[in-house]
Amino acid sequence: MSTQPTGSAARPADRRVVITGCGVISSIGTGVAEFSAALRAGRSNVRPITAFDTTGFAHSNGCEVPGFEPERWIHNVDITELGRASRFSVAAARLAIEDSGIGEDRLRDRRGVVSVGTTDGECRDLDTLVEAELAGGEAGMDPVNARRIPAGNISTAISRELGLTDVESSTIATACSAGNYAIGNGFDAIRLGEADFALVGGADAVCRKTFTIFYRLRSIAPDCCRPFDKNRMGILTGEGAGILMLESLESAQARGARIYAEVLGYGLSCDANHPVAPHQPSITRCMDLALHDAGVKPGEVDLISAHGTGTKANDLTETRAIRDLFGEDTPRVVSMKSMLGHTMGAASALAAIGCALAITDRFVPPTVNHEETDPECAVDCVPNESVPADLRIVQNNGWAFGGNNSVVIFGRLDTESTENTESAEAELEGATR
Amino acid sequence: MNLNPDGPPVITAWSAISPFGYGHDAFTDGFTAGESTVDAVDEERWQVAGERAALVPDFDVRSLLGAKGTRSMNRVTGLAVVTAGRLLAQVPDRDDEFAEGTGLVLGTTTGSPESMMGFTRASLVGERPDHVEPAAVPSCVMNCAAGQVAIWHQLKGPNATVAAGRRTGLVGLNYARRLLATGRARMVLCGAAEEYSTARAKVERCAQDGTPGPALGEGCAMVLLEPAAHAIARGATPLASLLAVESATCVGGNRGQAVRDAVSRTLHRAGVRQGEVSVAAGTTASADERNALSDLFGTRADTTAAHDLIGDTASVSALFQLATVLGAERDEDGLAVITALDDDGAISTALLKLHPVTAAGRTEAREPALAGGVR
Repeated sequence: MSTQPTGSAARPADRRVVITGCGVISSIGTGVAEFSAALRAGRSNVRPITAFDTTGFAHSNGCEVPGFEPERWIHNVDITELGRASRFSVAAARLAIEDSGIGEDRLRDRRGVVSVGTTDGECRDLDTLVEAELAGGEAGMDPVNARRIPAGNISTAISRELGLTDVESSTIATACSAGNYAIGNGFDAIRLGEADFALVGGADAVCRKTFTIFYRLRSIAPDCCRPFDKNRMGILTGEGAGILMLESLESAQARGARIYAEVLGYGLSCDANHPVAPHQPSITRCMDLALHDAGVKPGEVDLISAHGTGTKANDLTETRAIRDLFGEDTPRVVSMKSMLGHTMGAASALAAIGCALAITDRFVPPTVNHEETDPECAVDCVPNESVPADLRIVQNNGWAFGGNNSVVIFGRLDTESTENTESAEAELEGATR
Repeated sequence: MNLNPDGPPVITAWSAISPFGYGHDAFTDGFTAGESTVDAVDEERWQVAGERAALVPDFDVRSLLGAKGTRSMNRVTGLAVVTAGRLLAQVPDRDDEFAEGTGLVLGTTTGSPESMMGFTRASLVGERPDHVEPAAVPSCVMNCAAGQVAIWHQLKGPNATVAAGRRTGLVGLNYARRLLATGRARMVLCGAAEEYSTARAKVERCAQDGTPGPALGEGCAMVLLEPAAHAIARGATPLASLLAVESATCVGGNRGQAVRDAVSRTLHRAGVRQGEVSVAAGTTASADERNALSDLFGTRADTTAAHDLIGDTASVSALFQLATVLGAERDEDGLAVITALDDDGAISTALLKLHPVTAAGRTEAREPALAGGVR
């Protein structure tokens, strides 16, 4: 009888992991090119929410994905089986694969992980069922909505649509840091040699339940989201999906793939303190764990993509935690939520893509809507306009209800590897012209 | 026992709250007796008509955990907090590093539909849409139970909520194994929890659309997973070693064949021959899963699904199935295969090496009284 584990204890655990594809469905752009341009331009797309009847709320701006057309990306699974968050996740996965340059057929022969984070799953369908029951009794509830509910669908829908058979699909439901969790899960699977590729990220759709939660907690901004500003009033609920294609450096180089960035490591911590309020020591510990995992010193971090929700409590606590670890001389700290709104489970995934683009396209995304920095949040948040920058190491923060903290560290590949990749790309280009 | 300290991680304790009752003995005895716990649901208590389901007997959050901090705690959170307490009570001498080094992986389908739909309903029927109870907010988020387990038991390590249909428990075990393999946690409590509720029954009935499915069940099952070396160092008795968890998706085609392929692949990758497997247990009542295991393992395929006796426990079902194997007495090593095939064609399989558990050993591992498990 074999007693050898297939688990990693018997394996060297040091494959390097890189990002070779990004898929974006967001309020400010679809696909990486649009998304990168929007981040660089400091765009946002704040509009009155249309997902549900907002009558009775004094203010109800949000950051919805306008004119989403799932049929452009979903060809094999019956679209009516999928709720809005699953549609976002499948569309973003297809975009990520297209962006990576791996043919879908080639992916089907490989062993993979599909890991997608979410806050609400298909809560919009739960809302719809409640409305239907109130309007017409239980008989008015539509089985189509009821069948979409299980949160696992958000990840299995990707595998079904893309015909991926040798994959582990699972949804990580750790609320608003779930995207970072999913990236970490895929990173570990590849690093340990348990997967050849990973499609990871997060997805969520605007729904009444979550808007009402934040509204009731007086955490919805009346107009726009102003992280680190003296007059910040809270979040705007947003939606979308960000999916990243991860693979080993070896595999990416062998196929001459364009490499956005390397995933250097990540950290997880749990507050075990309060269900909704952030907890500074635990956040500091999470950042410390991530840097340690990545083999990076605080002084080497060039940019922090903050959780930066724009609530009073978050920005204050996050700033203090950053100061605690980085000292007075902190790197730039930006919040992409100022542009995207708070996209919940997609938030840290979209921000991770933003980090990868910042490294590749050499700029720092701004914190928009900024008027006057809160003296208690005195960080350089790169107000309103992006700046060109040569970034080597970028840190992506994510906190969540439940005290679920997750931080991922990204790095630019060193020059030697980059040159190899560029020459491989050049060869490929030459061959196609 | 000759346990390789560098070998795969081991399960050293487990607990369960199920329709069979409280604790692993209640589960094992109930499963062994083989009587269904599905019964008519109390219509007044649950505001349903003509429902049959398997409920945890006399489960009441406040009577089990006290009045403090439980006013707004929903049932699924209570099930997870109480089960984790019973599991932790089996870990004596927790040192200072315990809190930060111990992780929690908790499975769910979609949190608590009762809490979420109740919140939306309050927004829709109230005088104003924001006339909702702020204390109800935490329970409306899917990771509420995991966060509350961490707060109640002071677990500050990695804390994750995983959703993967009926495969959840097995995928959660794999996630937990990775946390250990990468040194992110020294021990992980790995479980799943599902509540019976009026809302869940309603949504399920609606999804079935006139074609009645299995009765709903509820409960929480949780195992303690740790590196073999860690278990040896603290003198814990391993019940099973987790050799592998593999997953696959059946896209179109024959699901029975897909289960056979997935199991074969798991065995192949682990270097185990089919003939070496001593027991194989499928999680669901589906013919595809049962027939596939019978084809592969003949009489070594255990055809009794916990599902049949305690109802459809959704995200917990694979761990309850694992519990049927962990709880069985055995006087020598064996290899067990646990499978879970979900309605959407996703498949997960776990391969475990079972270590001997005698009646005496089982008594030793008996869970202390509930009061010891909670603050």
